[in-house]
Amino acid sequence: MTDSAAPGKFDDVNEAVGEEWEAETTPYERVREVISREYTPRSAETVAADARTSPKTARKHLTALAEEGFVATSTGDHGGTYYRRSPESIVMEQATDILSHVSVDELVNRISAMRETISEFQTEYGVESPEELMVEHTNQTLSDASDNADGIDPDALQEWQTTRRNLAFANAALSIANAERFVGGDSSGPEENTSAP
Amino acid sequence: MNGTRGSAERHSLRGAIDRPALLAIRDVFNDEEPLAAATLDDFLNPTALEVRFEDGLCDADSCRLDIQWTVQGDYKFHYTDTLNVNLRWGKHPHGGDYIHVTGLEHYHPPPDASSDPNDVEDSCIQQSPDLLVARAVLKLWRTAYHADTLKPLNLGRNPP
Repeated sequence: MTDSAAPGKFDDVNEAVGEEWEAETTPYERVREVISREYTPRSAETVAADARTSPKTARKHLTALAEEGFVATSTGDHGGTYYRRSPESIVMEQATDILSHVSVDELVNRISAMRETISEFQTEYGVESPEELMVEHTNQTLSDASDNADGIDPDALQEWQTTRRNLAFANAALSIANAERFVGGDSSGPEENTSAP
Repeated sequence: MNGTRGSAERHSLRGAIDRPALLAIRDVFNDEEPLAAATLDDFLNPTALEVRFEDGLCDADSCRLDIQWTVQGDYKFHYTDTLNVNLRWGKHPHGGDYIHVTGLEHYHPPPDASSDPNDVEDSCIQQSPDLLVARAVLKLWRTAYHADTLKPLNLGRNPP
């Protein structure tokens, strides 16, 4: 049967999908899932609410995830612990995903194209980064008496931000592939035992 | 079919498109919905996730969801079909333009995913995690699909 299942009765779609998720997963899995794409520091209470568990349980799992390097911790203004996905861990995850689907040759080509895109943005806007562009735009708006200082194209800004982030993942993947050529499970000859997909 | 840029919207999502989130949402549709096939528009440098359905809502022969999700948790889920019906669930700042919308989550109703401040409604989707928003959209899509009407899409419930 490849037909779409008819949903049963539900009163609130938010509660319905939350309950289903809860029924299919353990608290640990939900905490891990919630924090896995949380890039700004969050309290255990906030994570617990999204993960449909208690703050105590969330804290226990977040601590364990921090110990294995999946989560990074920081201390808030009032001394509490805040949690977010460890940047190192997400970079490794994305690099691994990329390497299992993309050949090294293609990776090299695409990295060079993404670098090109970024350098075009830098030339076009005369700044090094999207952050500088936003600062410059704010200053311009403040100093401009008329209100037509609307220089930033939000699509371009987002494309720049997105390309920079994805270039970082792709670069990490390529570095790993290059490193693996020389650091291997077997001690056979160098160059030719590349097992790139 | 029109795509996300089909109906003019001058608000934008905050931050970079989040590849990891698009992958997680892709897996929800591919694992849960036999009629759907989800792929990144570009595997290495994606700007959107495209979910193609073998069938459309009401009389449409097929349909597509174009999905964006950013590192700050802003999103767009844009529905478009072969009858050129468009609608969109979104979450992003709108500068108070959408006078009927209390938070960031909102709904651009069919048939043209109107961005007219008088038309944009509060969204029935109030979950934040990407997986749960994806599951909610899929559940609403299925409800509308089986009911043969677009009404459930922002009703948020499925009466018996």
